Amino acid sequence: MSTIANATTPARVGRTAAPERSDAPRRRLRVLDAPGRRRRPKLFYGIVAVLGAFLIAAAQMSLSIMTTQGTYEIAALTKEQRDLTYQKQILYDDVAGLSSPQYLAANAAALGMVINEAPSYLRLSDGAILGPSEVAMGTSSVDAIGRAAVPNALIADTPLVTVPDATMDGLPVDVAETPDGGVGNTPPPLTDGLPTPSTH
Amino acid sequence: MTTRSTRSPRRRTVVALAVVLAVLAGFIVRLVDIQVVNADDHIKDSLNVAFAGGQKLYGARGAIVDTNGQTLAGSILRYDCQLSPLLITQIDEQVLEKKSDARLWADVSNDVAEITGQTPEDVRAIVGAALAENPNSQYAILKQGVSTEQFRALVDLKTPYISCVSHPARTYPDGAVAGNLIGFVGSDGTPLESLEKSQDACLAASDGERTYEQGKDGVVIPGTEKETPATDGGTLQLTIDRDLQWYMQQLIAEQTQTMAAQRGAILVYEVKTGKVRAAAEYPTVDPNDFAAAEVKDRTSSIFTDWFEPGSTFKGLTAATVIDAGGQTPGSTVVASSLENFDGGARVRDSFQHPAYTYTLTGVLIDSSNAGISKFSQKVDKQTRYDYFQRFGIGQGTDSGYPSERAGDLPSVDQWGAQTTLNTSFGQGVTTTMPELARAYGAIVNGGVRMPLQIIESCTKPDGTVVTPDAAEPERVISESTSAQMREMLENVFLQAPYAKTVAIPGYRIGGKTGTGEKSDGQGHYKAGVYYTTMVGFAPADDPEYVVVVTLDEPTKVTSSAANATAFQKAMTQVLKTYRVMPSTTSPELLPKFG
Repeated sequence: MSTIANATTPARVGRTAAPERSDAPRRRLRVLDAPGRRRRPKLFYGIVAVLGAFLIAAAQMSLSIMTTQGTYEIAALTKEQRDLTYQKQILYDDVAGLSSPQYLAANAAALGMVINEAPSYLRLSDGAILGPSEVAMGTSSVDAIGRAAVPNALIADTPLVTVPDATMDGLPVDVAETPDGGVGNTPPPLTDGLPTPSTH
Repeated sequence: MTTRSTRSPRRRTVVALAVVLAVLAGFIVRLVDIQVVNADDHIKDSLNVAFAGGQKLYGARGAIVDTNGQTLAGSILRYDCQLSPLLITQIDEQVLEKKSDARLWADVSNDVAEITGQTPEDVRAIVGAALAENPNSQYAILKQGVSTEQFRALVDLKTPYISCVSHPARTYPDGAVAGNLIGFVGSDGTPLESLEKSQDACLAASDGERTYEQGKDGVVIPGTEKETPATDGGTLQLTIDRDLQWYMQQLIAEQTQTMAAQRGAILVYEVKTGKVRAAAEYPTVDPNDFAAAEVKDRTSSIFTDWFEPGSTFKGLTAATVIDAGGQTPGSTVVASSLENFDGGARVRDSFQHPAYTYTLTGVLIDSSNAGISKFSQKVDKQTRYDYFQRFGIGQGTDSGYPSERAGDLPSVDQWGAQTTLNTSFGQGVTTTMPELARAYGAIVNGGVRMPLQIIESCTKPDGTVVTPDAAEPERVISESTSAQMREMLENVFLQAPYAKTVAIPGYRIGGKTGTGEKSDGQGHYKAGVYYTTMVGFAPADDPEYVVVVTLDEPTKVTSSAANATAFQKAMTQVLKTYRVMPSTTSPELLPKFG
């Protein structure tokens, strides 16, 4: 170290060890009889500085936590949105085809409604009835359920709303079949006389 | 000056400093190497191994809607599910060694089969075949095109060896309604036929991508997201009315079956605007299940098929001779059922009769070939050819249907003596249903020919609406000619043999029938079977709709009277749908003979 000090002050080489200070401020040197009181460092400033450092670090950490917390929330909500989107798709697939015209017409025809001749019009201004004024006959100009010829693969097996036993292929043939052991509409066979109540 | 006492420690210091500097330089070089020189490679590695996440954003293919906005074709997501046979065998081994409490593949495959609708044997066979080919196979296709419900059920099985990838698919909620016009897409989403294919520029979507860096559990690191948005396809709106289209399809299917014909078609043309409101045919295709239809039924034969029109062209000839030949509905010629003309041409009527003094009206009512041939000689053949061209015969329409066929009108220098007369009653020339509808629309619409369109517009996702270029309206015949033609054609439907079948109570209608012969492909005509046409319009005093009904080779009734029931029901439904008021005036009966 001394070589460095000497290296940096080349002007001092060769001088005596005690340099003269001609313009240094005068210090009063006096003899102390007791060691002097140590000045206490200002605690307040130190505490403020340390607290400030901690606060900054804490704020940074909490902001970072909040941001990442938001990310976890986003991930949870995205998952929920995905699940709901799947639900929506499943429901859409279920009802696709139910509003198609062939399905509606089959439902109407199953109830017995007919598509028929030209309607009559009532002109409100003078009460005149325009048109053929015919009674609607029972036949339909097209048979939307018996001869349905416009298929829809989405609802090929969907039961009709009006007649749940039927699909677009047609109404079921009315054959009354009592399954084995099922409850039929026929009364039970009489085997040993009429059932009699026990009376006193 | 260095003294001896200071030289040795100074040297030590220098050496120590040099060593420190060397190590520091080493660190700096390495740091620059990592952070500056090879930075991109290291970042790429880190993304590949740990951080990179991405998601493809699918654009939805545009919907096809009818004129009232009802969806005819829409987009949904479907899933392609695959198995990892290697993982299956590994998990099975672990289960058998009691190291895992998962279920055996033999058990899970039953559930899988129940969900996808395959048989358990098929499912196990898929895995078996993949393993037989490559014992370390990690990929075997379970099923493609799985619905969302099935996909969620497979996910709920919670097995690591089933994974599904989504891709957009098409659904057609109305089934076969307008299927002949819309077309369909293949299983990979490429459009295959009809408007789905030709309007792909309007309907196609482009995919986007969302890239991000992810932490554990796939959580997105905030601030690292980059997104190229997907663009959806545009909405294609047709001029077709969905409910009317259904009715016409059901009607023509029933009538084709009743008349035991090979095909049938109905075209409903709105005269004043040139828009097609229904284009129905039988047999046709259900785009949800296009494999069930035969290949020739998968496109629209209304737009791609031509035929010899027969007597419906008498209407065009009559309009020509009235407009350019000075004739009127009351002008007369004398015609018997067999007439010889110059140049060796002979014309025969469809029924035997002696020489009648037919009026032009009578020629149309009785559909006399000899009569119309005599009338056609009042103008020269160049004039008739020009009028055919102005009516649009042989030129195709601008409907927008892909590969639309145009009729064939031979050029006038190819008209020999026989052809010159034959074209006056629709033989020796071919046309299509749209051309015929448009020509009759011109005749009854005051003489102005409108275009024929099935596409209304294409609405891009940003809102711009693109309407197709349609031809300008063009005058073909004069107003008075059109009025006289309307009267004559009304009389045809009033006085023809099928008049009672075709009449709609409360309305004035008019039209013409045609029975065209069919070529057998070897230069001759088939005997006894015909392509029957009936074209009509209503109301006769101010026509709004033209309906063309055709049957290909009807056998129960072989003449064009076979179309009468279909026409009457079709026109009734059109008038009902559009609330056309019943007529308040009565028609004027014109004389047949003069």
